[in-house]
Amino acid sequence: MLKHWYQAKKIVESEKKSNIEIDTSNVKKYDVVVVGAGPAGASAAYFMAKQGLDVLLLERGPFPGAKICGGTSLIAEHTHKLFPNFWDECQCERIVMQQAYWIMTEDSLLSTSFQSLKFTAAPYNRFTVKRRVLYQWLVDKAISAGVTFQCNYKVSEVLFDGSQAIGVQISPPQKKQFFADIIVLADGANSMVAEKSNLIPRVSPQNISLYVKETIVLPANVIEERFQLAYGYGSIIGLLGYPTAGFNGTSSIHTFQDSININVGMTISDFSISGIRPYELLSRIKNHPFIRPLLVGGTVVEYGASVIPEGGYYAIPEIVHPGLMIIGDAASLVNGTHGINLAMWSGFFAAQAAYESKKKRDFSAKKLFLYRTLLDESFVMQDLKANAKIAKLQQDLPYLFDLYSKIANETAFQVSKVYTMPKKAKRIFIFKKITSMQPLLKMASDIWKVIKVVRG
Amino acid sequence: MNQFDEQLAVIRFQPDEEWQHVLILDDAICQKCRAKQCLTFCPSGVFRESTEAKQPLMVLYKQCVECGGCRLICDNIDFSYPKGGYGVTFLEG
Ligand SMILES: Cc1cc2nc3c(=O)[nH]c(=O)nc-3n(C[C@H](O)[C@H](O)[C@H](O)COP(=O)(O)OP(=O)(O)OC[C@H]3O[C@@H](n4cnc5c(N)ncnc54)[C@H](O)[C@@H]3O)c2cc1C
Ligand code: SF4
Ligand code: SF4
Repeated sequence: MLKHWYQAKKIVESEKKSNIEIDTSNVKKYDVVVVGAGPAGASAAYFMAKQGLDVLLLERGPFPGAKICGGTSLIAEHTHKLFPNFWDECQCERIVMQQAYWIMTEDSLLSTSFQSLKFTAAPYNRFTVKRRVLYQWLVDKAISAGVTFQCNYKVSEVLFDGSQAIGVQISPPQKKQFFADIIVLADGANSMVAEKSNLIPRVSPQNISLYVKETIVLPANVIEERFQLAYGYGSIIGLLGYPTAGFNGTSSIHTFQDSININVGMTISDFSISGIRPYELLSRIKNHPFIRPLLVGGTVVEYGASVIPEGGYYAIPEIVHPGLMIIGDAASLVNGTHGINLAMWSGFFAAQAAYESKKKRDFSAKKLFLYRTLLDESFVMQDLKANAKIAKLQQDLPYLFDLYSKIANETAFQVSKVYTMPKKAKRIFIFKKITSMQPLLKMASDIWKVIKVVRG
Repeated sequence: MNQFDEQLAVIRFQPDEEWQHVLILDDAICQKCRAKQCLTFCPSGVFRESTEAKQPLMVLYKQCVECGGCRLICDNIDFSYPKGGYGVTFLEG
């Protein structure tokens, strides 16, 4: 049986190779073909069509948002500037009024939390959203602006005339080719289309993180009670330390209307080296003494995994090529774990560049470089640059999250605990306790490294 | 059913019966591979040890959630996304 599959695959590969002869005779040519209907691709298509371009948007999934999971929150200001009053159109799950970080060890939890009623009125701060709803909303906008949308179409590679991108090849069963003046790759993290077309190198497993998530259904009022939320409002909680079992990485809880998402992830290379099973990491968090009570009675309705490119500024590949632009996660435009707004904005900038190119009928890399220039001048690159060294720091200090979560909790424990010893003796005792976890000089050097990075 | 199988049971799939999108390039390399990191890495347990010496791994590609990670941890794994419309479907975000 397996043998049979092997053969099936090989035939497909060889068929594809022989099939790559390009036939442009009597085919329709679009202004732009966009690959991938995520926030990047759908936004790009929408803004291009709005400016009168003839756009084809291709998606491999059966509907928008079917192929990626985890999270998700949307930053209101960034979205509102592109899609004014989007909250009236796109059905959001909860208006986020509370943002918290929980620094955890196996038996303790130090929390910092901020909540404000200011976040509960327009222009708001953040929203939690379900991907299916967000992606479909963006695609619907694109379609009403005149974009041709096609799902169940998987692009296998870009077609070139010399080095000029001129179209895309669709994999079987359709095996079609589509042609355009400009190709936009918005196929998400780990862009196989760009890699296969020799436009970018293979992403390093140190620069990409694997996340697993579970969606757990709970009644809305139970969520509000357990997370201490006012009716209809939501919370996003970042979990640090314990969740990634000694490695650098992050975990989070997003509250939806009547479910919550819990995610955890770390780099692909850390997963691979550590031998930790991703699912076990998640179930370990769910069984933590302070997390379990939040989930009691909930039903797991979906499990899944997706990747986030977390290499930061230095991991951004060449994103402008003759006749082609790479946007969103495919271009590694993610700041921390925030990518949706960067994806939308990169789509918006690519649309400006496409429009200018079309006007001048010049589809060279030089002309399309306007995309990169606009990106560089915007918050997207500015923020990525500001955080550039953080990704590197995490690789240099692999114990950073784990050790300092422990130190923070130990300090909090000692400060909170009531002893019979006099205050001064207690301070000395705490100091000794902490420096036994990490020698003072080492700690000073770590803190110095962090300060240097944070100050840029 | 153990807990992990219960997690897998809640995922929706549209499996492609004709074409396998994840596969091992060379069984001989797996025979010699000591770390076998694919076994622990894959978030949906696609790679399983088999009892056949000639073919040390089973590839349960129909339960792949398409994270795309395995191709980055081992060069002996050939991964491409399933054909358009096939594979995993996420509904819950
Ligand atoms: C667990 C998790 C939590 C996250 N949380 C947040 C959060 O809270 N806030 C935030 O801002 N960001 C978050 N992100 C990051 C965010 O999801 C991404 O940055 C964002 O989705 C990038 O958008 P995109 O359009 O570039 O790519 P994607 O959303 O990945 O879309 C790419 C699309 O291209 C399609 N595609 C891929 N290959 C092909 C092909 N060959 N042919 C046709 N179509 C193809 C895919 O099916 C997909 O629809 C999170 C990510 C994960 C994994
Ligand atoms: S697929 Fe790679 S990691 Fe897995 S056993 Fe084979 S060689 Fe080893
Ligand atoms: S893509 Fe992800 S889920 Fe699929 S086999 Fe590879 S590691 Fe497993």
